[in-house]
Amino acid sequence: MPRQFHPLPIPAAAGIGLRAPHIGDMLKWRPAAGWLEVHAENYMGDGSAVAALETLRQSYPLSVHGVGLSLGSADGIDRDHLARLVRLCDRLQPDLVSEHLAWSVADGAFLNDLLPLRYDDEALALVVRNIDQVQSALGRPLLIENLSAYVALEGASMSEAEFLAQLVSRTGCGLLLDVNNVYVSAHNLGFDANGFIAGLPGAAVGEIHLAGHAANDTDFGPVLIDDHGSRVPPAVWTLYARVIERIGRRPTLIEWDSDLPSLDVLLGEAMWADLMMGALARDGAGSASGAGGQLGPVTTDQCAAPVRLPVLKAFHLVRPAASLANYPERRNRRAVA
Amino acid sequence: MLSLEALQRRIARSVLDGNVMGLSALVSAGRADAYSRLRIYRNNTISSLTTTLMAVFPVTARLVDERYFRYAAAAFIRRHPPGEPRLVRYGERFPCFLRSFDGLTQMPFVAETARLEWFIAEALDAPAQPSCPLSAIATAMDAAAPELQLQPSLRLFVANRPALSIWTAHQKPDDFDGSVLARTHSERICLWREGEFVRFRLHDAAEFAFRHALANGQGLNRAATRALTHDPRFDLGSAILRLFQDGLVTAVTEEDDGQPTTGDLHHDRDD
Repeated sequence: MPRQFHPLPIPAAAGIGLRAPHIGDMLKWRPAAGWLEVHAENYMGDGSAVAALETLRQSYPLSVHGVGLSLGSADGIDRDHLARLVRLCDRLQPDLVSEHLAWSVADGAFLNDLLPLRYDDEALALVVRNIDQVQSALGRPLLIENLSAYVALEGASMSEAEFLAQLVSRTGCGLLLDVNNVYVSAHNLGFDANGFIAGLPGAAVGEIHLAGHAANDTDFGPVLIDDHGSRVPPAVWTLYARVIERIGRRPTLIEWDSDLPSLDVLLGEAMWADLMMGALARDGAGSASGAGGQLGPVTTDQCAAPVRLPVLKAFHLVRPAASLANYPERRNRRAVA
Repeated sequence: MLSLEALQRRIARSVLDGNVMGLSALVSAGRADAYSRLRIYRNNTISSLTTTLMAVFPVTARLVDERYFRYAAAAFIRRHPPGEPRLVRYGERFPCFLRSFDGLTQMPFVAETARLEWFIAEALDAPAQPSCPLSAIATAMDAAAPELQLQPSLRLFVANRPALSIWTAHQKPDDFDGSVLARTHSERICLWREGEFVRFRLHDAAEFAFRHALANGQGLNRAATRALTHDPRFDLGSAILRLFQDGLVTAVTEEDDGQPTTGDLHHDRDD
């Protein structure tokens, strides 16, 4: 019988993705972190990490983030895997559960990557059916995350943002807006990141992800790789600020999966996200509840200079824009970094 | 236009075998080359799953050199991709694959060490139940046929090469003595999870047979009989005491109609 935990709601503050090398420090130091998120598939066994997570769950609000349900698989949902996810959620009683708008299973093979869908009516019907099945099994709404993509599938009849909006409307799911993914996909596929965000139902966004990415040079220019292996870059912080201006504060996760830094670096990135949300709220932005705000262009060039803490650059880029656009009387106040 | 199912199957095949020909009409990548973009998914799949295998088989990787390990892992991933998203369960067939892989057939210690590392990975993902104190057996003395329940993480197997000696020698790579690789003796290995670590025992034939029979739910009587066939001087009392001292006994029960209740045990599938 699962143990009972006190409900710990995830606040509209920054949290961190909990990775195995940091579990010991988390247990030992219990640092201030708004909340934790774990990959569901890493905790479906009975190893010592599960017991450690149960201990941390007593102190930290928890989000369970699936990476293996393959909601977009034409083969449908793996019932065994869904049952494991249900058991995990019964065991950990997380406040949020999320998955990706992607597929990763075909012909019985799990590819361990998130591949894009052809955004058309056939795929929409399929994903709606799969989300309904998962939400019914879990007894709660899912948050669905947008994808970082390197290709688009021909024959689509709608954009990814339109597809996500349709999912919200038809299934009652929420959205997990990965700002880094928006930035990466927009760069790789040549669409407007702000337009993508403007096309989403802001009120449905229940969580935000932030992460770093890599840039690989090719004959066709740089391609951005969503490797979660560095600090959140300035352009992503800038886009994040625009999102917060538009939809208000949201639980925001710092993801870091490769070249994992020490825990304090991760917590530092989370602190910057909190500071940014707080600064925008003080300036009057960040209090919206889903109504659209105007988003200015974000380009890589704006933030091209190398900086040790990219968020500092983003602060300087964003604060004047927020102050001048919305609150001219404050234009003489100094930005606080 | 291809159905969603057919489209996904074609792309999945290209991710695994690297053949992207014929997919150009199905994908686009802005101004970039769609084929090179598709290869990003292949690289992600092969490199992330190789990382998974290296985490499960670190000593095996050192034995064959990392570059060769990556080569073998890529071939394995193509032929045996994961069937489910729990990657902690991925790699069970890798030791068997290595046994007959190019260049390794003359080095059986590689596959045997990989077998050990797989059993370690299994044990680390198994539950660690509270162990039963020795006093529990006193309360069971009245039972006509007391039985012992053992830890679900317990794994017992016979390695045809000194896999545990090789593995142990690699825990301090700077002090590694390569002479252990030339040895050809077998080892009867018992391992189980204790907290976040794994404990090991090497057994003689009698004690191995005893624990193996118990773990397979054959009951104390048959386990003792098996042990005695290997060694008529087998000391049953001491063997039971060692089980308790190792924290391997989780409950003492009474045999039920000749069929003791057993947990979900997995043992030595190859032997």
